[in-house]
Amino acid sequence: MPGIDECLLEAMALPGARGAALVDWSSGLALGTAGDSPVGDHETTAAETAELARAAAEYESFAPGESRAEAACAPGAEPGPGAAAGPPVEDLIVTTRTGYHVLRFVETSFDSSVFLHLWLDRADGNLALARHRLRTLAEGLVLR
Amino acid sequence: MTAATATPATAVSPLLTRLAAERATGALLRDRGTLFLEHGRVVHAESPSTPGLGVLLTTGGGLAPERWNEAIDQAGARRQVARFLVDSGGLAGGELEICQLAAIFDAAFFALSPGSGPSRFRRGATHWIGSVRSVPAAAVERETRRRRELLDAVWPYPRLDTAPVVPRPAAPGQTVTARQRLLLRHADGVRTPADLAWVLGRPAFHTLLDVRRLAAAGLVETPHEPAPAPVAGASLPDWMTQTQTPDVALLRRLRDALEASL
Repeated sequence: MPGIDECLLEAMALPGARGAALVDWSSGLALGTAGDSPVGDHETTAAETAELARAAAEYESFAPGESRAEAACAPGAEPGPGAAAGPPVEDLIVTTRTGYHVLRFVETSFDSSVFLHLWLDRADGNLALARHRLRTLAEGLVLR
Repeated sequence: MTAATATPATAVSPLLTRLAAERATGALLRDRGTLFLEHGRVVHAESPSTPGLGVLLTTGGGLAPERWNEAIDQAGARRQVARFLVDSGGLAGGELEICQLAAIFDAAFFALSPGSGPSRFRRGATHWIGSVRSVPAAAVERETRRRRELLDAVWPYPRLDTAPVVPRPAAPGQTVTARQRLLLRHADGVRTPADLAWVLGRPAFHTLLDVRRLAAAGLVETPHEPAPAPVAGASLPDWMTQTQTPDVALLRRLRDALEASL
């Protein structure tokens, strides 16, 4: 059962990986970092990627089915356990001139708001492989 | 670059800085919480203002309260509750680390709050949760400072942090997100942000931040600041003093409309 550091190290082993972080999108806190930050400061990058992730995780348009159903709930009805757990968005990809950023949401058994951020070199990185690997890593973090 | 890195950092707690420098092990006790240090690094923190690890882990139903209690019974005395939870399959190692870090930074935010009274250090004291992950004391101080600035950057009304949360109706067409709806559903006009954190099983700081964001969006009432003491002799006409709280959502829509027409 891998911890945060092992998870980030594995992400960094991907071809073209330049930096990785586990970030809380609600507060903008980096829970763990590896490699470099595009701006030379992991905390700044965490705060910025968290804003992007929060928008994606919370905007209605990215969560059509589920949020409509929830809105229809009678007021006062108790939501089931973990009703808010697991943002409906799986991942986000930002393509820049020089790189890729993949943000993969992590689903935990308790109410949390974390995602994995991987920064890849555009020339050496393999986006499809990275997406697939990040999914496995995010699942591995919560595997018992 | 954040302001915190540009300006010389003022110590949040000089004692903590000193203990970190001498690589001390023990418990730093303050009025609003306790930080546990191991060789100068923060390994755990707890505060009466925040839901503890047990509440965070069990509220969502991911970990049965019985399993949490069992872990404390079985491994509390040898101070390895965390390891027991993971080894017994109750919790994933990564999840535990994520939740533990959330709890540390959450409790530290309150424990290190200004005016949290005198600090005492109980050398050698450890916590029954055992060691999971450790964080440099400087990182905890830096994050605590960043969180204070973040709250005020979102909506600079500190009274929201302690007052009961009073929801306001959404403006027509205004989006209320799933997480916000969950919080608002439990805001009965009596519960404070701290109460809501316990009910939702979310860190207390996250709830403060969400409430400030909701107030900024006009979805929660911003409490009146205490009225300044009336100045004798300089009485103002009623129409100036008896104003209502501005309708925040309306003002925001007005501003947006004005900006759009520029």
